[in-house]
Amino acid sequence: MRSVIFAVLVGILGAAALHILIILAVPGFTGNDAYTRITELGEPQHFYPLDNDPVADGGLVNDDPGMRIAVCALSVAERPVRLYAPAGVPFWSIGLFDSTANEVFSMNDRTSVGGVLDVVVATPIQLNAIRKTLPADLSRSILVEMAGEDGYAVLRTFVPTATMDEAAYSFLSDAGCEAIEDETE
Amino acid sequence: MFRIPLLVALALAITFGLGTLSAVWALKATIGFGSIALGPWNAFPNAQTGSADPYARAHRARDGALLLGSAEGLVFRASHDSSGLTLTGRCSYDVAGLTPAARFWTLHATTPDGKPLSLDRNMPGGLNSWTVLRGADSNFTVRVAASAQPGNWLAVPAGQPFRLVLTLLDTPAAGSSGVVDLSMPVITRAGCANA
Repeated sequence: MRSVIFAVLVGILGAAALHILIILAVPGFTGNDAYTRITELGEPQHFYPLDNDPVADGGLVNDDPGMRIAVCALSVAERPVRLYAPAGVPFWSIGLFDSTANEVFSMNDRTSVGGVLDVVVATPIQLNAIRKTLPADLSRSILVEMAGEDGYAVLRTFVPTATMDEAAYSFLSDAGCEAIEDETE
Repeated sequence: MFRIPLLVALALAITFGLGTLSAVWALKATIGFGSIALGPWNAFPNAQTGSADPYARAHRARDGALLLGSAEGLVFRASHDSSGLTLTGRCSYDVAGLTPAARFWTLHATTPDGKPLSLDRNMPGGLNSWTVLRGADSNFTVRVAASAQPGNWLAVPAGQPFRLVLTLLDTPAAGSSGVVDLSMPVITRAGCANA
């Protein structure tokens, strides 16, 4: 009898260890995390507006009928990436996340310059180069440092009525997520 | 004769059975620690940050949802009404009161595990702070029901359990420091169809 209790106790200890191991290991193995799902949408460095209707294959959807969302997978491994969008919707917000879905930076139209989205994402080294020369076309941009190389950006806009759907759609399709062409050396 | 192998098998069975089941259960049951609970509403202001706990990290990696950054807003979810009963499409509910301070908010319903509901395209599947009809004291009452209702109507499929999602956009509540005196709308059951 004692040995049965001992075996059960050993089993419970092992279960606790396995539980911790699984919880810690899951983020690396799901293949269903936000970054992977966004990279499956297509080429990186491009904003993809998300569908509002459920997709059969279980892809990313926007389930909130009051919002429209576009996502962009980006990499700053070679060049800084500039996120921009014009003003003209009642509300927008941008969230920048690294490839493990940790928030790097977020802002909304109230905290922007003139309601225009203009953010430059770069590695610390690239940022140094930008700060040294400060090209004129980046003088009003918000500079964001990203420690990792890969990440994704989520651009949201508020669509209170169906009539504003078109404005929201053109806002999201005008939004850019592109590598800066002539990088300052 | 088979005593020792049996005991080893017992220990191993408990290890793998209990370990796996408890991990799966934990990932399904909770989004992580550090939630704000205001009546039936729950929010996780730190779930998207680098300081999220391992359960929150595992959950968001498995879920693959797009979380809101702290400057974007805060999402509150409710699976129960204010008296603790599970929300179901067999009954109708009143969501009444005021939201915490926010520039805008949206309200919609999902399945209990956060998937979109299969709702007719012409039904009102969402309400927001611009379209909601308010009383003279700027409070609002939203009737959540499967059949058409006067006033603010949020449609849900008949007979299925659902979850309410209230998204506050650009809200100081996401800073999560002064959360104590936030008031959320109350969810009361207004009536149920006969079974």
